[in-house]
Amino acid sequence: MIRSTNLKVAFAHLTSRVKQALVAVLSVTFGISMYIFMNSFMTGVNDTQTELAFSTLAHIKIYNDLPEDRSNILQNVYETKLINVRNAKVIQYTEGIRNSQPIIEQIEKVPEVTGVTSQVNMSVYFRNGSTKFNGQLSGVNAKKENEMFGTATSMKFGVWEDIDRRKDGLILGSGLANKLGVDMDDNVTVSTADGITKSYRVIGIIETSMANIDNSKAYININTARQLESKNQGYATDIQVNLIDYDDANELAERIGQNVDYKVESWIEANGQLEAGNELRNYIAIAVSLTILLVAGFGIYNIMNMTVNEKIKEIAILKAMGFEGGDIIQIFLVQSIIIGILGGLVGMIFGFGVASIINQVPFEIASIDTLPMAFRTVDYVSAFVFGMITTIAAGFLPARTASLVDPVSIIRG
Amino acid sequence: MNDIALKANNITKYFHTPQKFQVLKEISFDVKKGEFVSLVGKSGSGKSTLLYVLSTMDTDFEGGLEIESQDLIGQHQNRLAAFRNKHIGFVFQFHYLLPDFTALDNVMLPALKLGEKSKQEIEANAYKNLELLGLPEQALKPANKLSGGQQQRVAIARALINEPSIIMGDEPTGNLDSKNTEIVFDIFKQLAEERGQTIIAVTHDDEFAAKSDRILELSDGELVG
Ligand SMILES: Nc1ncnc2c1ncn2[C@@H]1O[C@H](COP(=O)(O)OP(=O)(O)OP(=O)(O)O)[C@@H](O)[C@H]1O
Ligand SMILES: [Mg+2]
Repeated sequence: MIRSTNLKVAFAHLTSRVKQALVAVLSVTFGISMYIFMNSFMTGVNDTQTELAFSTLAHIKIYNDLPEDRSNILQNVYETKLINVRNAKVIQYTEGIRNSQPIIEQIEKVPEVTGVTSQVNMSVYFRNGSTKFNGQLSGVNAKKENEMFGTATSMKFGVWEDIDRRKDGLILGSGLANKLGVDMDDNVTVSTADGITKSYRVIGIIETSMANIDNSKAYININTARQLESKNQGYATDIQVNLIDYDDANELAERIGQNVDYKVESWIEANGQLEAGNELRNYIAIAVSLTILLVAGFGIYNIMNMTVNEKIKEIAILKAMGFEGGDIIQIFLVQSIIIGILGGLVGMIFGFGVASIINQVPFEIASIDTLPMAFRTVDYVSAFVFGMITTIAAGFLPARTASLVDPVSIIRG
Repeated sequence: MNDIALKANNITKYFHTPQKFQVLKEISFDVKKGEFVSLVGKSGSGKSTLLYVLSTMDTDFEGGLEIESQDLIGQHQNRLAAFRNKHIGFVFQFHYLLPDFTALDNVMLPALKLGEKSKQEIEANAYKNLELLGLPEQALKPANKLSGGQQQRVAIARALINEPSIIMGDEPTGNLDSKNTEIVFDIFKQLAEERGQTIIAVTHDDEFAAKSDRILELSDGELVG
């Protein structure tokens, strides 16, 4: 328990050297605000990155996985003999997901799932007259697709939902439209790998700001896509699943995978580089902000050491009057803690200010306009907590030195 | 019978720097409760050193020390601090006060630390002590704005606040004029006679010493009378 007498002495010390106390407070303020800024910025960058990625990427994807190693399965049976298979052919029994409806219904029952949609994706040639480009055609359910990815917001011309209404409609990526030299209401011919060719009308142009998508992707009605591939009603190549929290993707993919015969893949598994980037940025933020806090800690350590030296006579008198070592530690630790709390509070406000200002700095790349910034309570709380830990640790050593002062040697002069 | 306030038994002390030097040589004496003792001797004879040993602040010595029948040898620093707080009032040779505190706060501090009385009571007692020493108007001044003599009297008022059984003073009147010296002497005398508090005061003032109950004289670290 902190004795009020010790508090009184601590306050007297602080108020007698306002300037030095302020310098100490400022060093904490600086440390805390930089900690908050660094972490807010990194989280902002991560969130933006993830958000951009999830504008086309589902949290979990279900598809028909082909066996990976298709060479020479005989070798596994006759281990001791050398088997040579020439010109091996792979027979694929099922392509895509033949009946997606029961799987979708089953997944929709999982409470953590926010959206499920099926897609029929294929590699095709887009043709307009003599110009011909290879690209991706995605047969989608426009309404569900939009609910999951917000695709409608990227529409440059036309209305996204028209896909559900117009079976002959095609929405083209803006870059692809450019390359093909087509505009709204023009016709584009699509040829599949199986050699089927059909013509569709451009009912919309989409611009996602991700060049590889804008330059190669087009959307049509999912049933039209099924017809193009000569598949039945329930057919899908991919089932896309979104979750409440995308961090749970691995765990849920595993859970769903137990009841589904197809490959259930989380975005983390499919896009390791995204997660790795996030993690690395987090590490950088932590390393930099802890270093700054450490520097602030040295500031406090210095100032408290100075205080102890300055007040060494008073410490001797207090001890002569019967103050114990523990009291002296309290007196100086309380000063550090007050400095820490003041610096922490001001630092949180200041950090918020810096983050808000940097958040206004223009930065126009992809779909962002200004530098990204996250405003999370957890950053503020952890900055304050780390700040207090640093202050207490930095204040403890000088306080201990003070508690070990030998009163006689000081008072004798 | 236990009317012994302080018992020093063969107290011997060395300083090791700059070279080994015996500053106190087998000093033994008793002081009775309510006795007013003057400690005299030439400058450098070891008076202050002896007083620090008696006050329990300096534990680096050989021999025995008992105050109020408590053996104080080998006690933990925190125990000794608590003991000083309650039983010993000390006036330093250079009247050290806490400069950031008012005279009143300085006087109150040992009592606040002891924590046996309410703050109001302590404040009232502190005022009374300051009045006793002729300083009622200085109560709310910061200690570093007082004159040397005033500071010394505040230090005396502080030494009295916990009504300690022993008051030790290292030239407590060293900075005072003859009138204030007399006032302090009378206060000490009164405390010894009426409240049975024991006084041990180092002094260079022969008149002061002569009026006290007993004189102990140190010469080169030896008790000579
Ligand atoms: N820390 C120390 N280290 C070494 N020698 C010391 C130390 N402190 C005091 N001395 C020596 O011990 C002796 C006694 O010193 P002390 O301060 O007790 O004298 P004193 O009788 O109080 O003198 P004064 O009347 O001038 O105050 C002196 O010779 C002094 O030089
Ligand atoms: Mg002396």
